[in-house]
Amino acid sequence: MPSATAVNKHRPSELLSRLASDDPEVKVRALREVKNQIIGNPTKKLSFLKLGAVPAVAGILADSIDEVTNNNNCNSNTSNILVQSAAALGSFACGFDAGVQAVLDAGAFPNLLRLLANPNEKVADAGARALRMIYQSKLAPKYDFLQQKNMEFLISLLNSEKENVSGLGASIITRSCETSLEQKALFDAGILRKLNSLLGGGSLSQRDASLESLATIFRNNPEVISKFAGPEIGRPLSSIIDLVKDRHPRTRLLACMCLIVIRNASPHFLQDIGIKSKIIHILLELLDDPSQVGDEAPFAFSSLIAQKEDLQKLALEANAIDKLYHHLKKGSLHPRRYEGILLALADMCSKLESCRSKFLSLQVLNLVADALTDHNAGVRTAACVCLKNVTRSIKNLSAGYFMNEIIVIPLVQLFPDPSTSVQGFRWQEKSERPDTFPLLDAVAALGAVSNIMVDFTTRKSIFVQCGGMKQLVQLAKSMESAVRSNALWALKNFVFQADNRLKEGVFSELTASLLSSLISDPEPSVQEQALALVRNLVDGCINLIELVFAEDGLILGAIGRQLQCASKAEIGIQGMYALCNVASGNEFHKEAVIQQLFTQMGDKNQSFVIKFLQSNDCQLRTATVWTIVNLTCPSSPGAPGRLEKLRNAGIISQIKNMVNDPCVDVKLRVRTVLGQSMAFGDN
Amino acid sequence: MGSSKKVITREEWEKRLNDVKIRKEDMNKLVMNFLVTEGYVEAAEKFRMESGTEPDIDLTTISDRMAVKKAVQCGNVEDAIEKVNDLNPEILDTNPQLFFHLQQQRLIELIRNGKIEEALEFAQEELAPRGEENQSFLEELERTVSLLAFEDVSNCPVGELLDISQRLKTASEVNAAILTSQNHEKDPKLPSLLKMLIWAQNQLDEKVAFPRINDLSKATLEDPTV
Repeated sequence: MPSATAVNKHRPSELLSRLASDDPEVKVRALREVKNQIIGNPTKKLSFLKLGAVPAVAGILADSIDEVTNNNNCNSNTSNILVQSAAALGSFACGFDAGVQAVLDAGAFPNLLRLLANPNEKVADAGARALRMIYQSKLAPKYDFLQQKNMEFLISLLNSEKENVSGLGASIITRSCETSLEQKALFDAGILRKLNSLLGGGSLSQRDASLESLATIFRNNPEVISKFAGPEIGRPLSSIIDLVKDRHPRTRLLACMCLIVIRNASPHFLQDIGIKSKIIHILLELLDDPSQVGDEAPFAFSSLIAQKEDLQKLALEANAIDKLYHHLKKGSLHPRRYEGILLALADMCSKLESCRSKFLSLQVLNLVADALTDHNAGVRTAACVCLKNVTRSIKNLSAGYFMNEIIVIPLVQLFPDPSTSVQGFRWQEKSERPDTFPLLDAVAALGAVSNIMVDFTTRKSIFVQCGGMKQLVQLAKSMESAVRSNALWALKNFVFQADNRLKEGVFSELTASLLSSLISDPEPSVQEQALALVRNLVDGCINLIELVFAEDGLILGAIGRQLQCASKAEIGIQGMYALCNVASGNEFHKEAVIQQLFTQMGDKNQSFVIKFLQSNDCQLRTATVWTIVNLTCPSSPGAPGRLEKLRNAGIISQIKNMVNDPCVDVKLRVRTVLGQSMAFGDN
Repeated sequence: MGSSKKVITREEWEKRLNDVKIRKEDMNKLVMNFLVTEGYVEAAEKFRMESGTEPDIDLTTISDRMAVKKAVQCGNVEDAIEKVNDLNPEILDTNPQLFFHLQQQRLIELIRNGKIEEALEFAQEELAPRGEENQSFLEELERTVSLLAFEDVSNCPVGELLDISQRLKTASEVNAAILTSQNHEKDPKLPSLLKMLIWAQNQLDEKVAFPRINDLSKATLEDPTV
């Protein structure tokens, strides 16, 4: 029984010094102890790593291999040392990236490869296993399949009867095969046939490894898939399809994932509704599995249904939303599983209203709102994406379903701190471990909020009360353009058809100078959202039009300048609609607009108006003609003068050419303009 | 409702049973599978010699597995861990739940032997980090450590941890993990067959009255209830 002093004997530093002993027996025992301390224990792996254990063990491995080569013989002591050192290195590399890196840095990789040729079975096995652990990490060295002798080596690995060795071959493929060239090379070398035979005749782990490798070779490569499945008479891909019903959950999952890869690359395979339903059914069932298999199942489900309405419909009929909800309800989920289920729900609700209705009817929303405050950043982001997709439901938005404290307040709390850079976004609650999350998460939260902002009821004030509006304005000043444009997007939706008081509140928080500088932002996406925001602000009420004149017409000037050099149609559209709304005001407003249309010309003969009227984009043409309609409205006294200016600039004749515009909206407005111009005795 | 079930007499039933052919080889395989999975090495060896049935697994690996199981059952958990790692270092590296349970058993043994200081140090150094990573591990750790709070451990709420059954549970978990790593089924086939028998009888019972086997160990046919 180990006594207190015995425990001290096993202290890491003490062990390491024994590793350096000359006595092979002491060395072996020390190696074995290191191995036994680190297996299963990530904390110990880290502490041994820090003490330099990996180079020490790698050194012992190297020395022993040299001994074997020099003496052309491997005695039992040396074999033991080889086995134990390989096992220790393998354990350092197992599921532990820092360990993998250390093993590679210590130069152990080539030595482990040499172990594969060792006549002692246990030694070769230990080497194969250690290499397999390395290849499970993305840090593994890239394998060059295109070199002939590498391909031959790979084939020899796959042909081995020893599981660890053939498993190593499969891991190498799964990890390193990336390009279509490599995929084709593997096909040409007959590797797929070998993997396929392992599906039927191999052991459990060989089957699983083959499924993963096959999926890697098939990914995004319809040509390889059809070469593989094409010549099969009867049921193509039957070897994989049969495994979907295997008794082992992991095999079922991997088989489904392989079929999904095939289907995503070549949709004409697996058209049969039966197989599609089966895969959906099996993946939903795998959610019951308590292990990592159940954690990964929802991600596979997402990859199956994402962007595909027909599959989403099929999944809805299979009660996918109910089942996902059921698992969400269980609580205490592993973060990976939690994230997966939320993303699966998000994908289900991405396009179909029927799915969103089901989602809302089950009260899943409350659970998703809870997830907004989870410790794990991935979970929070997934919850935002889910909300963003569900809030695309116009029916429910207009019912004011989402604008409530339960959802809005946690979302606002997810807004990043505008004063810090991308890496420094902090979770605003006072948790012991401040979580930092990258740009994507910030954008996800803003995306979710943006949809909710399109609330047609009068409850938008909730958002102001919880400080959300002010935060959005702060975020519009962020260093990250994606954050700026998404914040503006949310504000744009927020002021859409909002009451005057709300709009004025937003404007006074933003200020004319900020808004005008955003209109002139270096990023086109930011320009577009800023212009759209102005459009929504001035829409509908004459008093608000005054906003663009604030501080000496800062905003109006910015709009005009931006339209002159608009880099894409969307910017023109929003800017013109903004001007259009201003031009719907009084005489003074109309005069100011027409001035903007001509001011920036400089030595250019053509006003941007003509360019817009000649654009391929129907919306841009519509917006421009609308503006002209408002400028030439007969009821205003200054109309004739403006009409004259437009005629002189060739704009009216341009419009005359558009009487048969393919777009109905344009055609109708053109007629209005021409009708209005004839009211002033035009030819 | 109303109509009574058809009745099959024992005579009729036995006659029908006689017509069903079962192969000896299949039965032998079932027996071998049972012996091997449960780990009865010597019995398996003898059976192989006497019946000529080949086991579906290398019998030497059974001895290794049995050594591990025995070590746990005797409370020599550290020894068991070393043996498992010699057999296959991947098992404990990829099975956090099993590893935790083995470490937990080590803690229990330390407490059982009255080595309180060592137990605390062990809990702190080896188990606490696992608890930090995983909520359910933390709860189990707390339960185990609470053993230290009680004077009379045999009567405390978590006293069952000190029971032999806890060792057996852990031993069984290790056994299953080793079998799985060797691509062998962790459960023998025989129980599944018996379950199937019970289920099939229940199904049939809804339609027909027939001689049932109620005592599995005796397998005698009991007259149908009329």
